[in-house]
Amino acid sequence: MVGEILMTQDIHVDDFLTIFISSTLVLIFGGFYVGIYTAVKVNLLKKWTMPFGYIFWVLTAYCLYLMGSLMHVNDFTAKALVVAAIGLLLLPHAVYYMQDRVHEENEH
Amino acid sequence: MANSHLKYESKKLATWYFTFAAIIFGAQLLFGLVAAIQYVMPSFMFEVVDFSVARMIHINALVVWMVFAMFGSVYWLLPDETGIETVGVGIGKLLFWAFAAAIVVVVLVYLFIQVGPADETTIWFIHEGREYIEAPRWADFAIVVVALGFVANLYMTGIKGNRSGIVTVLMADMIAFSGLYLTGMFYTDNISMDQFWWWWVIHLWVEATWEVFVGALAAYGLITMIGAHRKVVEMWLWIEVAMLFGSGILGMGHHYFWIGTPEYWWEIGALFSALEPLPLVAMFIHVLYDWGKMQGQEDAKGLEQSVITNKPAFTWFILNAFGNFLGAGIWGFFHTLPQVNLYTHGTQFTSAHGHLAFFGAYATILIGMMYLGVQGKNGIKIMRHTKSSIWATSMIFGGVLGMTMALTIAGYADFIISRAQWGATWEGYFAGQSGVWYLQGMNWRLIMGVVTFIGFLFLVKDLLSTGRAAHHER
Repeated sequence: MVGEILMTQDIHVDDFLTIFISSTLVLIFGGFYVGIYTAVKVNLLKKWTMPFGYIFWVLTAYCLYLMGSLMHVNDFTAKALVVAAIGLLLLPHAVYYMQDRVHEENEH
Repeated sequence: MANSHLKYESKKLATWYFTFAAIIFGAQLLFGLVAAIQYVMPSFMFEVVDFSVARMIHINALVVWMVFAMFGSVYWLLPDETGIETVGVGIGKLLFWAFAAAIVVVVLVYLFIQVGPADETTIWFIHEGREYIEAPRWADFAIVVVALGFVANLYMTGIKGNRSGIVTVLMADMIAFSGLYLTGMFYTDNISMDQFWWWWVIHLWVEATWEVFVGALAAYGLITMIGAHRKVVEMWLWIEVAMLFGSGILGMGHHYFWIGTPEYWWEIGALFSALEPLPLVAMFIHVLYDWGKMQGQEDAKGLEQSVITNKPAFTWFILNAFGNFLGAGIWGFFHTLPQVNLYTHGTQFTSAHGHLAFFGAYATILIGMMYLGVQGKNGIKIMRHTKSSIWATSMIFGGVLGMTMALTIAGYADFIISRAQWGATWEGYFAGQSGVWYLQGMNWRLIMGVVTFIGFLFLVKDLLSTGRAAHHER
């Protein structure tokens, strides 16, 4: 019952380590993406480093895909992971936009 | 030590709360060590302080010291935020002594009586048997009275004084925080129902109200320690509140996978758990962003000096942003989806996550608040690190990280053998517990636990002595 609803098949024993490493990398790469984006915006890093930030987001999305595939997630969970990946992509843009506007209002 | 530099009674009361919190923090670590030794030497203190008792004190002391430090933090920041003395601070002091006395009695009962006859008297006078919140019912009622008094003081002060964004968030958050405790107080003989409501306290505390509380403390810390713009910080705080409550409340679904609740919780838990790391990443950026921005402005003026007015506290605040991301984010995301949680729940994986998340998300920032208390109490303008503070920070953070790694390795070996290979059978459980990796993981957990405890001793030494150090700017 659990297997039918949650997973299309059981997780292979050899896949667990890859699942945990890829789920760790989701947040580590995600952190790099967000960190580089923020650092470029506050001039701690040069602008040419920004593409590396987006490369880290692509790696994040790939790790989410790998993790979900090896877990054999059902359709709903797969959609949830896509929403999370898009959320992470948009998050620093939205945050920086709001922070910057408030800073401008405060300082000028 | 005289409170000569504190002009508000509220801040004096806060230092009492911090002091008692530090004592209970020590008890938490001490009984954690006892339990860790028992994993390696099962006969250690057998029938004196059994594992069940050591573990109970370890995890209940954890909650209690954090609640004390949280109350202390609110009493500390209220005069700064509202511009007035806390309303009802006299009652606050009375409630502090009542709360502290109740906790001492509860701990003594845990330690010397330990178990009851398993009837109503046990629930009323010994303990309730609900992990983390095992206080007997008489103490539950005492805690409710104390919490009501605390919330009343917060509300009356917020209404009378200047109600900043931080105070408004705390007013909303603390009433939820206190109210949720009620859901863990009543008895039901249906274990699924019992667990359903128990998670309302545990999860909605640590992944909703406590996280929002941490957001409010981080906002206060950024304003007081690096001079961040209030408008920016408070705007960000509201976003954090929305994100944390938005993902955290229904993220509770990840605790409802296997306790007998309806199957739709798998979908709800999966969706919101996948979103839960986002605010943690965002909180991490926020702290770095404000720090970078303020330091950049200072550097642009040609002033080669740090904007940080309390380095030990700020170090703990930075560790909070990092530790929250690491412990609650990465170690939580590891096993939050039902597909993998089917295998990992209830193993040492959970314990690894619990150790790093509680420490990273809460202990760090509350220790930071204690340093703010020391700074204010001693009238220090710019507070710098001491050797003890550096040792304390390194050993505590390194120790907890080491324990987490050890528990993760033990947990991995545990669930691979007992769940994935042996199919969660009775034999599988014991096979998992006797694996070489599991046993070595437990040895390393104990070693790193000792490192953490030594770090704590440095911390106590520093908190007691740094106020007199000559290298601070006054």
